[in-house]
Amino acid sequence: MTRRAKKVPVRLRRDKAGDADKGELAADASSATVSHDKTFNAALDEGLENSGVEGDGAQGGGRLDQSSDRIFEPMEKNRGELIPAELFDEAGYLRLNSDVRRAVELGQIESGYSHYLMHGHAEGRPSPRVPTEARNVMLPSVGGEPVDLTSIQANCSIDTLLIAPSGGLMIVGWIDDLTYPLSCIRIVSSDWRVVLDAPRLVRERRIDVEKAIGDGVPGSLGFFGFLHFDRGGEAYAAVKVELWQKDGIVVALHCAATIVSDADLRNAALVHLASASLVGNRQIEYMGYFGQGVGAELVRFNKAITKRLVATPYVEHFGPQHRSPRGTIIVCLYGKSEFYFVQNCLFGGLPGIEEYEFIYVSNSPEMAEVLLREAHSASYIYGLTNSVMILSGNAGFGGANNAAARIARSNRLLFVNPDVFPRDRDWAEKHTRILDAGTHERTRLFGASLYYDDGSLMHGGMYFDIDVGLAFASGIPRPQQMCRVEHYGKGAPTKSPQFTQTRPVPAVTGAFLSIENLWFEQLGAFTEDFIFGHYEDADLCLKSIEKGVAPWLQDIHMWHLEGKGSTRELAHEGGSLVNRWLFSQTWTHTIEAGLKGPAPSHALFNSPSLPLALGPDIETIKPKSDRRRR
Amino acid sequence: MKVLLVSLYHPELVRGGSQQICYELFVGLQSRDGISSTLLASVDPSFKSLYKSGAQITGFDGREGEFLFLSRDYDYLWHKVSSSALVRSFGEFLKAVEPDVIHFHHFLLLGIDLLTLARRVLPNVRIVMTFHEFLSICDANGHMLRRFDNSLCTRASAVRCHQCFPERQPESFFVREMWFKKHLSVVDAFTVPSAFMIDRYVAWGLDASKIFHVTNGQPDYSNGHVQIDARLKRNRFGFFGQLVDNKGVWLLLEAVQQLRAEGFNDFKLEINGDNLRFASETRRAEIEAFRTNESELSPSERLVVFNGSYSVDQLAQRMGRVDWCIVPSVWWEVFGLVVSEAWMFKRPVIASNVGGLGERISHEKDGLLFDVGDASSLAQTIRRACTEEGLWERLSKGITPPATTQVMVDKYLSVYGNGAAALSS
Repeated sequence: MTRRAKKVPVRLRRDKAGDADKGELAADASSATVSHDKTFNAALDEGLENSGVEGDGAQGGGRLDQSSDRIFEPMEKNRGELIPAELFDEAGYLRLNSDVRRAVELGQIESGYSHYLMHGHAEGRPSPRVPTEARNVMLPSVGGEPVDLTSIQANCSIDTLLIAPSGGLMIVGWIDDLTYPLSCIRIVSSDWRVVLDAPRLVRERRIDVEKAIGDGVPGSLGFFGFLHFDRGGEAYAAVKVELWQKDGIVVALHCAATIVSDADLRNAALVHLASASLVGNRQIEYMGYFGQGVGAELVRFNKAITKRLVATPYVEHFGPQHRSPRGTIIVCLYGKSEFYFVQNCLFGGLPGIEEYEFIYVSNSPEMAEVLLREAHSASYIYGLTNSVMILSGNAGFGGANNAAARIARSNRLLFVNPDVFPRDRDWAEKHTRILDAGTHERTRLFGASLYYDDGSLMHGGMYFDIDVGLAFASGIPRPQQMCRVEHYGKGAPTKSPQFTQTRPVPAVTGAFLSIENLWFEQLGAFTEDFIFGHYEDADLCLKSIEKGVAPWLQDIHMWHLEGKGSTRELAHEGGSLVNRWLFSQTWTHTIEAGLKGPAPSHALFNSPSLPLALGPDIETIKPKSDRRRR
Repeated sequence: MKVLLVSLYHPELVRGGSQQICYELFVGLQSRDGISSTLLASVDPSFKSLYKSGAQITGFDGREGEFLFLSRDYDYLWHKVSSSALVRSFGEFLKAVEPDVIHFHHFLLLGIDLLTLARRVLPNVRIVMTFHEFLSICDANGHMLRRFDNSLCTRASAVRCHQCFPERQPESFFVREMWFKKHLSVVDAFTVPSAFMIDRYVAWGLDASKIFHVTNGQPDYSNGHVQIDARLKRNRFGFFGQLVDNKGVWLLLEAVQQLRAEGFNDFKLEINGDNLRFASETRRAEIEAFRTNESELSPSERLVVFNGSYSVDQLAQRMGRVDWCIVPSVWWEVFGLVVSEAWMFKRPVIASNVGGLGERISHEKDGLLFDVGDASSLAQTIRRACTEEGLWERLSKGITPPATTQVMVDKYLSVYGNGAAALSS
């Protein structure tokens, strides 16, 4: 809902303000512009009419009644609790109380806040209103606060207000707050209210606004806010959105919120993040913004969705049902059902495969019918032991795989991507032999060498690195550390024993990850904080290392058509942005302390008993930027 | 021995080389002692009058031993049917027929995965697969023509196939190849009608020891009576086949246009065949435009006549009206049944120098070859055929009678019984 800015004359009268301030205010007001909103302006006219105030309606040049200056109205006698220091608008108080300002200037009083505490609150001195409620939480409104209409002209707009009741809300807009920085956003409905702190907002670049305002200077005029809550948020009528700026300036807008499902809200938020422009490097800037709160909100919100989606899966079994298979191959499907029968075909009939069961867990309910139909056919043609689990939505890689793991009937879990196929015809027999013959430390968690369709190596294990970028969102350059996961030998020739030999590695990809079921449980399974998919495998491996067990690369070779196993949408890109922040926040310290680089110094990878100590002799392809691996 | 033959279409419903050969084999096997044959032919939903509610496999027209596989929801990307009921019905059909040999002449409209199912349902059955084209190798209708310029393709690869289908990732062709090879791995013996196909499939990755050359055989439609009129000029040409792109009738018409433009019009061309609806929109429009223009000419000016489709009963009569048979295929043309049919009537063939045509026809001995896809080369050859004295007689005498059905059946029985014996023979 981008509104076209329009320059109109504005007159504000402040009877309570000092005379010396009037000219200043007038000068400020004369350059103000109005943001048009049909709903808002129509209601404005009505409100002004009801209040007896003359107004120009859509022209926005309404003159407020001299007796009512709603923004700067004096506080009531029974004025409630004191405003805490962190919310007190010092500059605004001094502007409204010129005598106090003079006293501060003369050193008679320490500060405006001191005066307020000692005298001002009791005297009922004028003070710019600030929301005093607890911030960044959903609060019920007792008795129902009327959604009154206020009008003030300012450079701002609310473009999007999406609410998923008992879930979360997302607000997108812009405000020209270069002079008076935004301090918080207060959203008021009849039954609830929310105050979002400005530091929790992502400030974005709005080129459209920059062009409209006309100064052409790149700036972060846009904002994105997100909050998760588990109750409240219903909005059957318009809501009021107040944009509170420093110095007591507030703009109130009347908005119609769009009610959406939690999954739609998640998608909208992530698509927005993936599409937004930021001043500076987006990835780097997001690291800072996510760390200030919105990242955690998105993670919690997503977890709530995941929990709901995996709560009641539909499961159907096909083929012979072994009482105790040797291993459970878990494949997570999203958007592409054909890999079900392709994998059944290519895995079927190979030596030793009869000892394994397959569980296909689908994050795409829309392809449930097709999938189950294919499962019926495939069962008859290939005869493998299969289970199909249908979830009611996209629970992500972690949520879906964990749900499938819970119905596994073996002691061994193999997480395999849908675009992974046997390169070794006897891979299943090899896998079984490794389990039978290998030592416990080498087999609790291991991966395989993976190859591209062109024959070159795609994965010979993974290692970690840390990038440092400069973020400028705060106005001064701040270094941001971002973890990156790389593959050993990515793109190397087929025969590259230095990358494919059996050895411990810092991590293995979830495209093929074999793990003892009990160990998987002890590690807490895949962390479901990650959104959709990315980093869960590295996270699991680091959890294992923390508990003293290194992942290994074993002598199994598979094809992997990286990134071709599922559909990838813009929302997934947004999820990856959040995931990188989350992963970095969680593991940077650990990685720095001995797990950084292709030759980490951690003791688990430098024991003399190891087949090949990872060291400077390892030739690696020059690290590239972090890649999508799903 | 019980032999189940699996065909794409029934020749009674759709004319085509692979189904014709399959049917000849079916009939030929029935005449042998100790051999019983069953035919299962796929049809598509355009023949909806043949579909019976709830049925997957039915009989056909009261014919003993002939059945229809009522295909639907066919996945042309992965070459499989999506209906689990159809898949299951095929398995039940196998159990009911209990063949000793399953001989697939195609998998289109059936599904390549039915090979694997056949092995699973009947672990000891001998599975034979005859390739009538290159569909396992090439997703472009199995023609191995590069889609962007229609040039002949000599090998498939993930990147080369992606160049023909830029909307699909190279990896998808890598998976396709694995998918096909996995299913073909259950086949005991492959046959091809022309020797050059062996090299193509071996290069693709099939085991050379499992591929045998079995020439397509047909009944002698001349019944031993070949009518050759003494003529001063041998300037009557005939095209016999489907009017689809790769058969090249459009090229033939271009050659006619060229000759006409050069002022050479002392010849006649008869187009015998149908299935224009299966041609591409461009070629169909070209052919229809030519036909319209030709029909507007006076009878003395017309060079080309469109006779429509024909049955084998009419072959003698139609061959009797021409001196030469032209096979202007622009694809690899793995065999060319029409060459055999022309030879039955001692008609020399003018053909593209490609694939099975180039292998079967000996240039200047029993026919003439021209540069594939080259209308000028074809036009020159037609002019030469019309004007060179004694050429036709010399070539007609050089024709060796084509393989008969009986010869083909004998070879296939060797393949069914023992592949090595067939190779040595």
